[in-house]
Amino acid sequence: MREVFFMIFSIFTVLAALGVVVSRHAIFSAFSLVLAFFGLAILYLLWGTSFVSMLQILIYTGAIVVLFVFVVMLLDLKKEETLDSAKTGPLVMAGLSVWFFSLLILRALNRATYFKSTNVEAASDIKSISTLLFSKYLWGFEILSVFLLALIVSACVLARAEYMERKADQ
Amino acid sequence: MIPASVQILHWSHYVAACLFALGMFGFLIRKNAIVVLMCIELMLNAVNLILVEVSMRSGHPEGLIFVIFIITVAAAEAAVGLGIILNLYRAKGTVNIDAFRELQG
Repeated sequence: MREVFFMIFSIFTVLAALGVVVSRHAIFSAFSLVLAFFGLAILYLLWGTSFVSMLQILIYTGAIVVLFVFVVMLLDLKKEETLDSAKTGPLVMAGLSVWFFSLLILRALNRATYFKSTNVEAASDIKSISTLLFSKYLWGFEILSVFLLALIVSACVLARAEYMERKADQ
Repeated sequence: MIPASVQILHWSHYVAACLFALGMFGFLIRKNAIVVLMCIELMLNAVNLILVEVSMRSGHPEGLIFVIFIITVAAAEAAVGLGIILNLYRAKGTVNIDAFRELQG
C-alpha cells in the first residue's frame, strides 16, 4: 500500500513540477505549484514526518502560493510570454549541472553505512525536534525570528505604491 | 513508524533530483520573473525532500530542523522577491526578465 502511494504521488509531484515549468501562463504555473507542494506533503507523510508535512501545507500552499497568485492577478500580464526564446546553451549547462548534482546525491545516499541507525521513530518525534530546536539550534531559531521581523518591514516598504514615486522625486 | 522492509521510499532522492532538474530548467528557460521565482521554490523543495530522507534514514532529527529553517527562508525570499517584481512591473510595465538590463549597460 505504501509502495503504491509512493509511486502515485512521486509521479504526481514530478508531473506537477513539469506543469510549473511548461505552463504558458503564470497562473497555471501557480496552480501546478500547489499540486506539487501537496504531492510533496504526502511524500513527507509517507516518510512519517507529519510535522514537516503540516508545515509544508500551511506555509507553502497556504502562504507562499497565495502570495504568488495575488501578484499574478495583480499584474496585467496580457502579453503572454512564449517558450521559444529558449537557447540551447543554457539547456546544455542545466543538463550537465543537474546530472553532476544527481550523481553526487546518489553517490552519497547509496552508502548504506550512513543509515545503520534504527531509531527512526525518535527522529520524527515532535518532542525530539522541539528539544533540538530549543537547545542546540536556539541561536539559529532566534536569529530567524529577528530576520522575519526585518522581512515584514522590508516587504511592506517594498510593496508600497508610493515607493517608486518617492524615489523618482528625490 | 517505518518498517525496515519498505525500501521503495529510499527512491525519493530520485524524485528530488527530478524536481531539482525541473526547477533549474525552468529557472534557465523561462522569461517570466514570477515563474522564475516559482522554479526557485521547486529547487528548495527538492532539497527539503532530500533532507527529510537523510534525516529519517539516519535517525537524526537535525535534517528536519534545517527543513524548518529552509521553509522560513523560502517564505521570506518569496515575499521580498515578489515585492521587487511588483516594483519592476511598476517601473517597466512588464515582468519579462529580458527587459531588466540596466545593470549590465
